[in-house]
Amino acid sequence: MYLNVQNLTKTYGNFYALDNVSIGVESHEFVCLLGPSGCGKTTLLRIIAGLTQSNGGEVRLLGENLVNLPARQRGFGIVFQSYSLFPNMTVAENIGYGLKIRGVLKADIQARITSLLGTIKLPDVAERYPWQLSGGQQQRVALARAIAVDPRLLLLDEPLSALDAKVRGELRTEIRDLQRSLGIPTLMVTHDQEEALTLADRIICMNHGRVEQSGTPEDLYLRPTTRFVADFMGVSNLIETRYVRECLPALLENRPAGEDDAYIACIRPEQITIIADENGKATVRAISFLGNLNRFEVTYPAGRLIVETHGHINVSEGQRVRFEIRPEDCSWVVSGAV
Amino acid sequence: MSAEPSAITTPLSNKHFDVDRAFVMISLTIPVIGLLLFFVYPLAIVFLRSITEADGGLGLGNYAHVLASKGFWRATGHSLHMGLATTAISIGLGFVIAHALHRCAFRGKVLIRAAIALPLLAPSLVQGLGLIFLLGRNGLVNKWFDLGLDIYGFWGLLIANIFYALPQAVMIIGATLTLSDARTYEAAEVMGARPIRQFLDITLPNAKFGVLSAAFVVFTVTITDFGNAAVIGGDYSVLATEIYSQVIGQMNFNMGAVVGIMLLLPTVASYYIERLAQKRQFGSHAENAVPFVPTFTPARDLPMAAASFLIAALIAIVIVVVVYASFVKLWPYNFGMTVKHYDITLAGGYAPLWTTIYISLAAAIGGTVMLFLLGLGIRKAPDAIAKAVYFFSVMPAAVPGMVIGLAYVLTFNSTATPLYLLYGTATLLAVCNFYHYHTQGFLTAMTGFRQVPSALEEAASCLGSSMTRIAIDVVAPYVTPMLISIFFFLFMRSMVTLSAVIFLTTPKMTVASVTIMRLDDAGLTSQAAAYSTCIMLIVGAALMMMKYVFYRMDKRSTLGTVV
Repeated sequence: MYLNVQNLTKTYGNFYALDNVSIGVESHEFVCLLGPSGCGKTTLLRIIAGLTQSNGGEVRLLGENLVNLPARQRGFGIVFQSYSLFPNMTVAENIGYGLKIRGVLKADIQARITSLLGTIKLPDVAERYPWQLSGGQQQRVALARAIAVDPRLLLLDEPLSALDAKVRGELRTEIRDLQRSLGIPTLMVTHDQEEALTLADRIICMNHGRVEQSGTPEDLYLRPTTRFVADFMGVSNLIETRYVRECLPALLENRPAGEDDAYIACIRPEQITIIADENGKATVRAISFLGNLNRFEVTYPAGRLIVETHGHINVSEGQRVRFEIRPEDCSWVVSGAV
Repeated sequence: MSAEPSAITTPLSNKHFDVDRAFVMISLTIPVIGLLLFFVYPLAIVFLRSITEADGGLGLGNYAHVLASKGFWRATGHSLHMGLATTAISIGLGFVIAHALHRCAFRGKVLIRAAIALPLLAPSLVQGLGLIFLLGRNGLVNKWFDLGLDIYGFWGLLIANIFYALPQAVMIIGATLTLSDARTYEAAEVMGARPIRQFLDITLPNAKFGVLSAAFVVFTVTITDFGNAAVIGGDYSVLATEIYSQVIGQMNFNMGAVVGIMLLLPTVASYYIERLAQKRQFGSHAENAVPFVPTFTPARDLPMAAASFLIAALIAIVIVVVVYASFVKLWPYNFGMTVKHYDITLAGGYAPLWTTIYISLAAAIGGTVMLFLLGLGIRKAPDAIAKAVYFFSVMPAAVPGMVIGLAYVLTFNSTATPLYLLYGTATLLAVCNFYHYHTQGFLTAMTGFRQVPSALEEAASCLGSSMTRIAIDVVAPYVTPMLISIFFFLFMRSMVTLSAVIFLTTPKMTVASVTIMRLDDAGLTSQAAAYSTCIMLIVGAALMMMKYVFYRMDKRSTLGTVV
């Protein structure tokens, strides 16, 4: 592991912001810390940056323990949600600031600034001040400032959350391309699962100061292991073991051993097929047309399902249906009820 | 480019860690030592002297003596009476002007604002001088109407105090009136409340804490003021003049200390109640309030405008008459113009004026640097230490200038410690002025430091900045406007203050405001007026310069949100 975080704990009084958290980042990897607000993801990022002290645990970069190293000696780059450009400096001065501190020659700094302004596609703003730029432009400059020093690790703290939807989409792509081309190991904090799915090589999903699950975007979406992850990574249908045994026994095939209450079946809406059937146990309650797909709200004896299909299928509201699920599309998650 | 550490990513050497800690230590230690040595210690000496009896032993004999004296009770009664009367009238008139300025629509508000800024330009004895020119034995009114008015005493002092304190009441009440949200009025309007109901149900309750806060400030300013009491008080002795006569008149230092402690009690109490009121006030302010914009309503605006212009005119006339009188040949008999009163040879001539400018610059520069350091240090200090430092930093405002001056003379005019070397120097006067006005400067600095976004410091830290660099590159640009305010505030207050420095001046080392008092004492009222005019010119120029600096900064402001 390039960056290795072991057993990190952070408490505020009796509150555990981080409870024995261990994560890692490989040398060219883009890792997203994903979770709801208050889950501890930002605290974790700040401890890695050296901006907050932990109560216990280790942060190692290539084996070197960073715990007692102040933030400014870690050689990391950081981008905040609030842009945080120095308001009294021009764009060029902002980008060159880290290099200036390191005593790099003026001419070299200048060259680097010019090249970075090209990289972020803002070649003409060097002499402007931050307040003369739009939010998206400011965040690009903040990104350039962070990577100007060839950081050992790039930390992004909700960098897209303050931007409007269109700019967010553009910048998302740019951050991804930039990270891939430079190969800088990157750790990004976000609460937006879509952002995490598109950007990350690996997602670490957190809740209540703990890591719920770590894996590729596909893993987290298609094979969640906890109920929290299943819910957080989009819409999920959760079906009790008892009902599965009765009506969908095929799905029991890959169920881990355990009491009925311990695991619960999780199926994504697009992995359920509904078929009109007068003897079906389920009923279509509502249909919403969402453009490229249709969403059906279906009730069945043990509860309610959300089903999504591409294109039109021949059912109408109030109609009796049966539903089918392929065993490989079902993942069993820890129910959390135990 | 690669992720491996290259030449420029090599972490900066480890020595910075200690440099940072040393930086915090120094920036906290120097101002704290200053506070302890030049504020806490002298105050402790006052207390100690108040319980030191004639034979050198400790006891409450001085208190018993003071409490048994008729003079003390007379002065206390006068001070309270004067304080309450001034407060009641100033708050009433102050509310009228503040409400006119912020809640009424009429032209010429800038004139009212200018008039209420005037008293800040001059020592507090100028109102007294002005009233003497107008209503004194040789005043215009007595000359024209021959009423035989005697302005010295309660009425003269009351008017002088009101004119001196009124601007401060207007500012504090005005600040609370600007805070309220126009939408609450719109809601009331929609619900059918008439304007008078809106005033009674929304404006008044919301201004409650501001009015309370203003009342305590006016009360404190009035009972601690020395200048006007000395010039126009006549036989109407108050606590401030009582301390002066005990110490300077009768050289009775221990008795003076007792009266000082007695004066401290109400001011400390009033100061802390005022701060509580202020906190409550700001607690009720909504973040995204829509400011209230008045529309012209004749029935409300015409009487309010008339009243405000009248009061503002009176405030201005009392000061302008001093300037006018300084150019008049022989008030009130010969109104020919002359500059002969500016040829001042008595009481050191113009030397004290230059000394005062020098002292004020020293207090302003030194004070600004100290408060910048203190602001930096207090942010990085552990919570408990920061709280303690904060507590001492806001204390000087609770201590009357007379008590600070007395404390300094007791501390520095005693050969017991090497601090004696400072006595009679301009340095000590500058230091005294700084600590006299420490609180206001400190609170302004803290406002500036609070505006620095912590993410910005963190970004700089991650880029490799040491704390020293962060202080210069990140913090300083944000707090510069506040530091400029502090600089000019300390300069202007130092130019006009009288109450603390009155005890510290020596025949060789004296300041402008004391010279005015001496000239007036010697019966040279026109020369005192001329001297006052010089001070007002300098302070007025400083005020203009400050406005100009802010105007320029605003124009090329890179700190969109600051100022």
